[in-house]
Amino acid sequence: MNQRQPEQVEVIHRINRIKKKVAPDGNMGAPGFINPDHIKNAQGIIDDGEDTYKKEIASALKQLSTEWAKAKTSPDTSKEVTKEIYRLANYIKDMASTYEYELMDYFGHSLRKFSDQIDVQNKAHQTIVQAHIDVMGVAYSQNIKGQGGEMAKELKLIVGKAIAKYSSED
Amino acid sequence: MADLMTSMLREFNVGKIITTCSVQDAKEAVNLRNINAPPSNHIDIVITDLLPPQEDGLKFMEWLRTHDEESVRFLPILFCSAHANMRIVLSGRDTGATEVMVKPLTAEKLAHRLLHIIDKPRPYIKAPSFFGPDRRRQMTSEQKTERRTLKQKDMKVSHESEAA
Repeated sequence: MNQRQPEQVEVIHRINRIKKKVAPDGNMGAPGFINPDHIKNAQGIIDDGEDTYKKEIASALKQLSTEWAKAKTSPDTSKEVTKEIYRLANYIKDMASTYEYELMDYFGHSLRKFSDQIDVQNKAHQTIVQAHIDVMGVAYSQNIKGQGGEMAKELKLIVGKAIAKYSSED
Repeated sequence: MADLMTSMLREFNVGKIITTCSVQDAKEAVNLRNINAPPSNHIDIVITDLLPPQEDGLKFMEWLRTHDEESVRFLPILFCSAHANMRIVLSGRDTGATEVMVKPLTAEKLAHRLLHIIDKPRPYIKAPSFFGPDRRRQMTSEQKTERRTLKQKDMKVSHESEAA
């Protein structure tokens, strides 16, 4: 029986060039440091960035509606459109989680998950995607931040029911 | 999201930041600054997102790790993703990410990952099926045995010299 040859593996230790660049007084042993005030200021960009969030989400939701309308009327483009829906849902999730809009994060995640399987000709799928677009529109217009209370529960229920009802009709 | 991260990095006072809108632009920026240019002008760290649905961020990392030039191939990469699932995290690691940052983005998290890249550089592993930073981090308490099957004696170990 042939003996299996060991893989040729090389372990390469490189000079730490960045450390050399940033080490205070060339002290390579000193731990890296970012001024805590600078970190606080950077976090402030997120904490004070409600306007950025609103602007970006408004634009993403508009694009989402446009893409979805296109998908329903031009089935030929459905493959590209579903990829774009995935990208937009991911972007909405990304922005919402960063700015702590939990409900929008939840719907963005849910749509991203569903967009893997969207068949634009399928009526059930149309209903599910439309339900996501509608509730995201409400979550945006009502500016629901955090858990969102009773309205958030209702909106989640709407999408949950749509998925439960129409998924079984595939 | 790139704009947000750029603003945060600016607050960190990290030096020059190059933001690109496409993978193609990113490749051009890396080629321009890290090949035939003085080391002081080199890009030091690359930050990339997964960029779904095509996952272009992974393809970009693959391009970096298979580049002919050492000044590109060995670039530290911070790979970010809004996906928290294990498949994506492992894909990032297996494509050669130095650090993986699962979003949401916070200043503390970003600073921590950057400092980790600077302070705790990992050796690179060159194997027939992989090139990138050593993927092993630490042995957890549940992990009783060493997963790497190769013995130290079967590995070639090299250290870059100052003159390189």
